[in-house]
Amino acid sequence: MSLKVTNIRKRFKQRDVLAGVDFSVSEGEIHALVGVSGSGKTTMLRIIAGLETADAGTVTWNDISLLGVPAHERKITMLSQTPLLFPHLTVGENVLLATPDRSKADAEQWLRRVRLEGRFDAEVHELSGGEGQRASFARALAASPRLILLDEPFTNLDPVLKYELQQLIRELVADLGLTALLVTHDREEAMLVADRVTLLENGAVRTTGTPTALSAKEPTFGDFIELDGVLYPLTRIEVSREPTGEPVVLVRELTRFGVRLGEYRRLSGEYVILPCDASFEVGREYQLRKKQGVVEC
Amino acid sequence: MKRILFLIVLLLPFIGLFSSMPAPLVFDEAVANTIVHVFVLAGLNVWLALGTAWWLLFTESRWRPFVEWFLFLPLFVPALASTFGMYVALVRFGLVGTQFGVLTVLLAVTLPYSIRIAYNAMYVIGRPLFEQALFLPPVRRVQFVLVPLLTETVRTIALMSTVVVLGQFVLVQLIGAGLVPTVTTRLYHVYAGNDVSLALQNTWLLVLIPALLYGGIGYLMRIWMKVMKGRLR
Amino acid sequence: MSRVNVVISSLITLLPLTAVLFLLREAVGTDVWSLVQDETWRASLAVTLYVTLVSTFLSLVIGTICARMVYVNGRTWLSFWLNWPLFVPHIASAYLFYLLFSGGFPGFGLIASNERHHLVVILTYVWKEVPFVFLMMLGSYAQLNRGYRDMAKTLQLSPWQQFSVAEWPFLIKPLLDSFWILVAFISFAYEVPALLGVTFPKLLGVLAYDRLTTGLFLNESEAYAVALIWALILFAGVLLSYALTAKRRRRIERGVRR
Repeated sequence: MSLKVTNIRKRFKQRDVLAGVDFSVSEGEIHALVGVSGSGKTTMLRIIAGLETADAGTVTWNDISLLGVPAHERKITMLSQTPLLFPHLTVGENVLLATPDRSKADAEQWLRRVRLEGRFDAEVHELSGGEGQRASFARALAASPRLILLDEPFTNLDPVLKYELQQLIRELVADLGLTALLVTHDREEAMLVADRVTLLENGAVRTTGTPTALSAKEPTFGDFIELDGVLYPLTRIEVSREPTGEPVVLVRELTRFGVRLGEYRRLSGEYVILPCDASFEVGREYQLRKKQGVVEC
Repeated sequence: MKRILFLIVLLLPFIGLFSSMPAPLVFDEAVANTIVHVFVLAGLNVWLALGTAWWLLFTESRWRPFVEWFLFLPLFVPALASTFGMYVALVRFGLVGTQFGVLTVLLAVTLPYSIRIAYNAMYVIGRPLFEQALFLPPVRRVQFVLVPLLTETVRTIALMSTVVVLGQFVLVQLIGAGLVPTVTTRLYHVYAGNDVSLALQNTWLLVLIPALLYGGIGYLMRIWMKVMKGRLR
Repeated sequence: MSRVNVVISSLITLLPLTAVLFLLREAVGTDVWSLVQDETWRASLAVTLYVTLVSTFLSLVIGTICARMVYVNGRTWLSFWLNWPLFVPHIASAYLFYLLFSGGFPGFGLIASNERHHLVVILTYVWKEVPFVFLMMLGSYAQLNRGYRDMAKTLQLSPWQQFSVAEWPFLIKPLLDSFWILVAFISFAYEVPALLGVTFPKLLGVLAYDRLTTGLFLNESEAYAVALIWALILFAGVLLSYALTAKRRRRIERGVRR
């Protein structure tokens, strides 16, 4: 067990924001802390980062207490909602700043890993929202953290960029053997990105588990399906004609960019398309073929 | 302990106010002039600064950066140097030795600070909040949103402009040609003599006028808020 | 409505700016070379630079530290107390300091001894200007995104590095503004140094006003010339410092997240 949070309490203005929170994050996993606004998840994250102090409780890393250790000595970095790249530095200098031995080669390497090669000398304002978040992620990684905190990092991104960043984070965290804690209000996002999910409600842990397990026991997390060990959201699609023979479906809403069209089945009055190889776009019509009780694209 | 030490250092100069009994106040021309200057200039500063800052922040115009620089430029001109120059200029228009001349020059000295204060305050409050107010009809907009939002700014502008006005000896002496006595000019002459109680009387006035104005505006604004909330319910 | 205000404000602003042109007219005929060689003016310039720079530097440092203590360390009580000197006009604070240091209180005989370091003048200015700088910097700290500081902390930077990347770049502009406002104000003023300063060397503003008004304005062109030269020197300083920092400030303004 790497990060262990025990009985953390925090009171703000006569209100218990955190009323005894316990959870743990294992080394190498992405753990998501999910909750609505005001559930205390960001406060929890700030306490772990050392930016806020708890009224009671302990935070330990490999059984050594982090309380009292200043934020800049915890080896915990953070990715926030907005990139927050220092505007007086270039993109590369921002990464360089966090690199322990100030090695330019290392900084360039980190930029390459987040697909920003050749942007070392770019000004911060020249980056798009997604590029900014990626640069910020490179900077957070460059500090060689033992834990990386992700504070709703996908909130301000459009679906395409959101999906790309989610993929990138999953890929790099796995490659580097990092441990990450994601804070989000978006349950689906938590299910898709994290290895384990903890649900916070009114400052306390309500439930915790793997996405697959939670999907089965918590209907509020939405509909998911596991194929080859990967969890996919069941994408809601309006079918313009009843699927007898050759149905035509109009894609009205995608819950996740790039989900593949595949089998189809009827679920609680709505049509649900399961993944297959063709990606589809909102607003377009797709011809489906019916074969042995399932529909293929 | 550190806090107490800090407060002692900060408040020590005020001890002088209690070093002896100030002479009783006589309401003369100098006091009258001072009060008129303070009220007229505080009012003008608030009105001009708020409107100008509004324009600088929220109006699309290609002149904006130029006007902004131009309006803040006098802050970097030494006050005494511009006083000398304005003296030379106003002599030609026969305005030296008149109330109008003195008021105009005092306004010129205080306005850049006031615009600066209003600009910073409005910037911090932010455009989105002011834009919300645009959905209300003009009278209600001022009554329910702008006045409450800008209360502190109005108080600060009034305070700063009053304090600057009350601090001007050379300006009033030169532009007023000695014909427009104020508490400040009188104070300066009293300092030259050795009458501590008379000097203290003037010093008390110089400290109390801004304090009373600041407190008075605060009180009026509180009443405004009370009435406004009463009307809302 | 606001356009009317801008027009009036611009006209009023025109006055101190054109005043500089009038100074130019009046200064014509002054022998600038003899002015430069005049021992009295030179001594005055030296002492003015000393008083101005020391007062300005101390005010900027203390005012910024106080604003930081309120915003970063949550010492909100400072805001209340630092307002107090704001209520006192410069001339009145000069008199209060005069009373304090003129021997009226035990141990403070600094003015009586005609001390050469202008300490009381500097103290008066620092006492008056710290709250001004505090107000300016408090506004700047209010606009500063706290996320930058949190980010610097979590990037494992030392406290000094945290300040230098997440605070200092955003303070350059307001500090530069405050610096020049204070320098313009302190370097060529009359009231405070006239009351508290020593008789020789006098500060530039005192000397200029004295030369202007003694002897029925006989030396007036000299005073006007000094006022003009000083205004131009400051103006050049303002332009130079803003030009030198322009690139950096623009970069920050464009890349900052509020």
